[in-house]
Amino acid sequence: MARLLSYANAILEATDQAMALCQEVVVLGQLVDTRAGIFGTTTGLVDKYGVDRVQDFPVSENLMTATAMGAALAGLRPLIAHQRLDFMIYSLDAIVNWLALWRFKSNGKSAMPVTIRAIVGKGWGQGPQHSKSLHTWFAHLPGLRVAIPATAYDAKGLLLESIFGESPTIIIEGRALYSMTDLVPEEPYRIRFGRAVVRRKGSDITIVALGMMVPLALRAAAILEGEGIDAEVVDPRTISPLDRKSICDSVSKTRRLLVADPAWRSFGTSAEIIASVTEATGNSLVAKPVRVNLPDSHTPMSAALERKYYPDEITIANSVRSMMSGKELVVENR
Amino acid sequence: MELNHRNIISIGQYQDLEIAGHSEEILLALYGQMLRLRRTEEALHREYHPADQMRCPIHFCIGQEAVPAALSLLVRGDDYLFSHHRSHGYYFAKGAPMRELFAEIYGKETGANGGKAGSQDISHSDSHFYSGAILAGAVSIAVGAAFAFKHQRTQQVSISGFGEGATDEGAIWEAMNYAGKQKLPILFVIENNRYATFSDQLKRQASDNICERVRTFGVRATRVFGNDVVKVYSTLHAELEAQRKGQGPSLVEAYTYRWNSHVGPEDDSINNYRPPDEIAFWKDNCPIKLIEEKLLDAGYLTDELKRRIETDIAAEITENFRFAQESPFPADINWQDANWASASPLADALLSETEGDVFDHTQAEARLGPY
Repeated sequence: MARLLSYANAILEATDQAMALCQEVVVLGQLVDTRAGIFGTTTGLVDKYGVDRVQDFPVSENLMTATAMGAALAGLRPLIAHQRLDFMIYSLDAIVNWLALWRFKSNGKSAMPVTIRAIVGKGWGQGPQHSKSLHTWFAHLPGLRVAIPATAYDAKGLLLESIFGESPTIIIEGRALYSMTDLVPEEPYRIRFGRAVVRRKGSDITIVALGMMVPLALRAAAILEGEGIDAEVVDPRTISPLDRKSICDSVSKTRRLLVADPAWRSFGTSAEIIASVTEATGNSLVAKPVRVNLPDSHTPMSAALERKYYPDEITIANSVRSMMSGKELVVENR
Repeated sequence: MELNHRNIISIGQYQDLEIAGHSEEILLALYGQMLRLRRTEEALHREYHPADQMRCPIHFCIGQEAVPAALSLLVRGDDYLFSHHRSHGYYFAKGAPMRELFAEIYGKETGANGGKAGSQDISHSDSHFYSGAILAGAVSIAVGAAFAFKHQRTQQVSISGFGEGATDEGAIWEAMNYAGKQKLPILFVIENNRYATFSDQLKRQASDNICERVRTFGVRATRVFGNDVVKVYSTLHAELEAQRKGQGPSLVEAYTYRWNSHVGPEDDSINNYRPPDEIAFWKDNCPIKLIEEKLLDAGYLTDELKRRIETDIAAEITENFRFAQESPFPADINWQDANWASASPLADALLSETEGDVFDHTQAEARLGPY
């Protein structure tokens, strides 16, 4: 039975079910044991499972990650959560020098099934230290899996798949998505990594959208439909591994590619996707590929500047129109 | 007088090693473990260049045998041990096999990690032995194992061996704070050999007072002369027993010295960072020699027994060089499998498959604020 759940409640339900299914699942994070519960995603768990399994943690992000790693080595299934991804950066040594390469350097004999949730802020002046989505950094590292779920349905399935998988995983959650609802099955289910989903079928252009850009891309597609442009929207859901085949299959059909990635433009996931498609399909595109990203700039606080900083459905629709007409679009701030 | 690396030389000849109250069996085992480690390191050091087949950095631990030898008699099979890059002694302490160490250093398929890790990153997961070269990172992971042991209410102890150099890194202090606060079953063992590569502790830290500092975090701490293997053994023994009774974390700081260069067989004295009288003091107070004299005096060790121990060790080393040299190199590597797990048995058992997301894209984004 599926029913409407918000993105935040889908995360809470996945965590609750994981803890009920398996005694080894523990949740660590700052204030996970409070009523606020990381924007509602851990609320009430401490009452159900106790402080042994739902533990507030000191503001020691590096140690928190390493604690999860050592605990995983000794048989637990730790889930850790960061209220803002920016704080997680303190744990780069744990992630880059140890977690990502643990399986490799043990020659496959040792595993660290750790799941790390990191929330990316957007809006209300979150500014440069509360809004960075560094999914590309983590996807660059061998040994990690990186998910960027856009819907409540995916948030639940990918979280469960991560907790009960064998490779360490980072899940990037868009705070802007937290209240959005979706039909979510009650049972504990999995969404496999590396399987993109076609969220809207179309024949004229492929829009690959990630995380917070997915609803915007779908809205842009709805606007364009009224103009006779039939856009296909592909959501990779995970970027490591990345389902290059599904993206290439779509582009082979539409022969146009726009990538909407809620991150800085240069050296990013959108560049990787365009490179992957052009490597696979050569010069079969009929329009130059286009990226819709955040500018190569840190996030401003002022609402007036935020509006310029974050692309919306109009930005995407305009880019698509330009690609369809063959006219170059002059975009500010890019 | 509290021991430190500046006043220690004034001891001259160390006289306090006391074997009374310890069984002949334990004392000979401590001696045998140290000798095996010493001869192994000497052999690797000797063979490193002529053969040039050990193509990885090796941080030799000659002079620092006492701590790992003592641990080897004290750790349980299910204890976890996390070591720094000067790892061979700790590898032996957990009972991991010499043949897999040698083969690993030679980069062979039969190595502990199939030649992927080498000396400074070696692990032997069946023995719950792990190491790494980025200092405090391994200490933090050891805290996590201790977290699990407390959570699972076992009597296992997580043992974290590191040098005073690692205490320069902030991660150590996050670890001390949390271990103390949560009363975790973790034993921190510092081998204070004074130098981080070529840098004196007091070039890097305001005081040589690590024990004092960790006590403020609720971690018991003891300093010992780290070349007195009996004292090291007794101290670690008491602390491990306390840990198994749930008495919370502790740290033992053993003052010791590496005889060789920081890394490799080359001489690094061109950096002129260690005074000759200091080196002479530590060689005069060799951890093996200190106990050997007492064992000979007590009649526990005879020339005949010593010859037998030496012969056995030499044969073991020769045999393991042969094994490493004759083992094949890794034939090929699957980069994907080497880095990511493909199977997920637990997810297979617990989760169902489902498809059919019907996301409504017309909804508004979450309204943030006021924070």
